[in-house]
Amino acid sequence: MDEFLVEMAEILEEDAVGPSDELDGFESWDSLAALSVVAMADAQFGVRMSSQEVRSAETVEDLYQLISAKKAA
Amino acid sequence: MRLSYSDKAVTGLLTVVPANERSFVDEMANFNFSPKRSLKLKEVMGYDRHRIVSGPVCSSDLAVAGIEHLFASGKLQREDIGALIVVTQSPDYLMPATSSVIQGRLGLHDDIFCIDINQGCAGFIIGLMQAFMLLDQPAIGKVVLVNVDVMSRKVSPRDRNSYPLIGDAASVTVIERRAGARPIEASLKMDGTRREALMIPAGGFRRPSDASTAEMVEDSEGNFRALDNLIMDGSAVFNFVMTEVPELIGDLLAQTGTQAEAVDAFLCHQPNRFMLQKLADKVGVSHDKMPSNIVEHFGNSSGVTIPLAAAFNLREQLLERPLQVCLAGFGVGLTWGAMLMELGPLEFCEMIDYEEDE
Repeated sequence: MDEFLVEMAEILEEDAVGPSDELDGFESWDSLAALSVVAMADAQFGVRMSSQEVRSAETVEDLYQLISAKKAA
Repeated sequence: MRLSYSDKAVTGLLTVVPANERSFVDEMANFNFSPKRSLKLKEVMGYDRHRIVSGPVCSSDLAVAGIEHLFASGKLQREDIGALIVVTQSPDYLMPATSSVIQGRLGLHDDIFCIDINQGCAGFIIGLMQAFMLLDQPAIGKVVLVNVDVMSRKVSPRDRNSYPLIGDAASVTVIERRAGARPIEASLKMDGTRREALMIPAGGFRRPSDASTAEMVEDSEGNFRALDNLIMDGSAVFNFVMTEVPELIGDLLAQTGTQAEAVDAFLCHQPNRFMLQKLADKVGVSHDKMPSNIVEHFGNSSGVTIPLAAAFNLREQLLERPLQVCLAGFGVGLTWGAMLMELGPLEFCEMIDYEEDE
């Protein structure tokens, strides 16, 4: 989770992000950020996500759970 | 499928790009995004400038200008052309074929095989495959392969997904028999179930263009486009490239007993710098062996990007000596193909601009 939070902070252009942060609360949460999450999931976790799946997450932790569930599957 | 070709060679390469250059920064105001996020997009994807037609320039205009330049400079004789292959997704007309338009405009003789192929970003690979097959006929001495698109005319200027990267261009490639040439090894795959990842929904017979298909509609991301415009599912295309292309290239290298170090250059289709650098990492080759600088200079001109990557980055070397190259194209269809071949020494390798009439 720690590594994931660092990656998410970079994508969202923040110093740090927390698990319960709402994604829509970030000004930078847009299609570019979503594609960056798709690329990060592929490179760091070996998981393939669609933009639609990424955009369905409400919080940073939701996103982590989505990726973790795919990795376990 | 695995495909092999013997005694064939590319002998010349010309690219044609519109002289009209646009910059990302100037066009940012068209997008429904903050300047800060647009600049972030520019930085991440590697956007800067792109070449697009400003007027109603058609595919045959760019192609005729290129081939006439070759005639005028003595690099190609019109009577030597036995086949003309045109690979495009932006034909002059639904009918007749753009290859027939070009043949007629150039006044080529009638002892010729003209054929259009509807392919996009894998179009250079597909075009070469068709050229090699035609050269199995002794009656055909020289094949001229034209890759051309003016897709900027079908992309909404208010679509941040596609407009910053689109480019218009043509390439003219001459392919001939060469006895004793090293075998050319290739691999090709297609998956029509994913055909909607890249498409222009309206304008064909399934959904003819009318007033409703021209209506601009805002999507959930703030992009405006009509059904007459190109639409791309960015994450689907990204996942497609990251999954299929490294495997395709890796398998072709393994099956031919080729070490990646023995390949001088990996000349891939150029979707954007972001994707190409991630692709190089996955294939396991250094970024300098896989050029990724075409979109920032010219834009993504679908099937023309591999010739542009070759001419822009390797011109001097290709005129001098043979290079071992691995080509890879991937896109609409979906279609993905790779080809290992010796390229060069070329008789010509040139880049010219297309000036539009005022």
